Amino acid sequence: MSEKVYAWLLRLYPASFRERYGEEALQLFRDRARDEKGLVRRLRLWLDLVADLAISVPREYYYFEPELLGASADQRLGGIPSFVVIEGGSPRPGALFSGGVLTMLVVTTCSFFLSQAGPYTRRRVFTAASSQSHRYKDSSAFGGQASPTGAEGGNGTSPFGRSVVGGKAGEMSNSQTEALPPDSPDSQPPTQLPEDAGNASIFHAARGHATVDATERHRVIHAAAANLKQYYVYPEIARKTSDALLAHEKNGDYNAVKDGGVLADLLTKHMRDASQDMHLDVLYSREPLRDPPLRASPESIQRYREFIEHNNCTFAKVEILPHHIGYLKLNSFPDLSVCEATARAEMNRLNDAAAIIFDLRENRGGDPDMVMLLAAYLFDHPEYMYNPREDTTQKSWTRSPVPGNKLADKPVYILTSGWTSSAAEHFSYDLKMLKRATLVGETTSGAAHSGVFHRIDEHFGMGIPETKPINPFSKNDWAGVGVEPDEKVKAADALEAAIKLAQAKLRK
Amino acid sequence: MPKQKLNPLPSAAFQILLALVDEDLHGYGIMRRVEDQTEGRMRLGPGTLYSSIRSLLEAKLIEEIDARADAGAGSERRRYYRLISAGRKLVRSEAERIADLLRVARSKKILRGAHV
Repeated sequence: MSEKVYAWLLRLYPASFRERYGEEALQLFRDRARDEKGLVRRLRLWLDLVADLAISVPREYYYFEPELLGASADQRLGGIPSFVVIEGGSPRPGALFSGGVLTMLVVTTCSFFLSQAGPYTRRRVFTAASSQSHRYKDSSAFGGQASPTGAEGGNGTSPFGRSVVGGKAGEMSNSQTEALPPDSPDSQPPTQLPEDAGNASIFHAARGHATVDATERHRVIHAAAANLKQYYVYPEIARKTSDALLAHEKNGDYNAVKDGGVLADLLTKHMRDASQDMHLDVLYSREPLRDPPLRASPESIQRYREFIEHNNCTFAKVEILPHHIGYLKLNSFPDLSVCEATARAEMNRLNDAAAIIFDLRENRGGDPDMVMLLAAYLFDHPEYMYNPREDTTQKSWTRSPVPGNKLADKPVYILTSGWTSSAAEHFSYDLKMLKRATLVGETTSGAAHSGVFHRIDEHFGMGIPETKPINPFSKNDWAGVGVEPDEKVKAADALEAAIKLAQAKLRK
Repeated sequence: MPKQKLNPLPSAAFQILLALVDEDLHGYGIMRRVEDQTEGRMRLGPGTLYSSIRSLLEAKLIEEIDARADAGAGSERRRYYRLISAGRKLVRSEAERIADLLRVARSKKILRGAHV
């Protein structure tokens, strides 16, 4: 029996070794087994053998099968995989059977875990969004108009854990691209916001984990107060808010604050309390802010274009559900200059739908021009769309009617989650206020992104609105509070709920 | 890579060469001889033994001689190994190297007890 066990263990050696010395090794085992009887000596024999195997098997492969070591390097040559035959003979039928069983086992195990991964990821997205939405409400000014791209940038952590400030975070969050898109030069606001995703990602990832001393605290407070007076669009409120910050400082309200993130949040709260403007914001970054910020390189712009085109402009799903309900899952509002044709084609595919559902649950924002383009399909006349980031101009009206479009009078449902941000909130908020769409899902993240970014020092910056858009719907928009859905359900259940609502409506 | 594996000479290979100085031995015989000459401190397992033997054969330090019936262990025919002149030269120079080391160690009085 023990000889059989050792014979089996000998299979661990390379074939060349087994062929040449396998029989002799087995003979040596027999000799020792014959001479070393008794429990203790037999135990010692097996200990010797196990130690010998542990040392000599790897050495045999190391010295006599160097192909094994070289194989991984060869595979990288020119990107062409190479294979090395290290066993000369044909495998035994038993080995083939064992290999087959093992392969099935591995594939089954991998398939099982992959099938589990899908729902887990989605749950994580929505949970993260819900739990973090409040946190991002406090930080809207770092994206949006502050974005160098002029886009309503997603401002926060992507579903994959990336943090993005400014730029088309929607695309990035859903697709893990690193490229930041450009926008037309004329839409670039005067901004100091860092442009590259790497730099931009620091704001949230690094918030609130480093100490500030009294000197820096004093400097930040006074810089914030001065910036307000200099840049805020309403001088009277700017003065009042600025005075409030200095008064808080005088009262010693900041003396106990040692954490940069906490100081930023407290300043934000005090500014908003004094001004009643939820677009004002101070943010803290543990990593140093670049000064001047990087500009998007032509390469990154090109990468963005290629990425976005490759991903169907983030139109993740466009289909007709039963009862002729059109379903459009849009994971960002992509750059109009790149994606207009795609957007029009996808909207045309839904032209015969009896109702339309926009799924924006994973949409972190993007280009306001794309918001206007899609909204244009929902009206038969030009309609004013409020955008907190831009002064009211001719561009604030949709270019409706769209020739050939049949969707202008069809019921519209928008699915939202705590993750829905920025341009996606712009779309949802206006259509809700215009009573053109029914929002189904969760309250959105509250990222209006209407401030222009001003760097205070290496770690602090602030967003200050510099435009006076007209909001005909309400005093405050979604900044800091999010857009409330008409039908509040969990984000994961929103599609089902919207379909039921649409069916009920269509039956009438 | 295999060419490098006897430089420096591993202790198992050195002990095998030493074991073959007096007579030709088969694998098990070498293992027992090494055990004796190291007073039980080294018991070469089959893997280590034959791996070392292969290296010594490739380096032409020992040679394989025709299998013959072993009088002491039944009638199995076994391969025997014999030290050849290059191996003898190497084992001598290795022994001298160790002896030199011993002399240095003795002069520094780091060895206790009788002269080694």
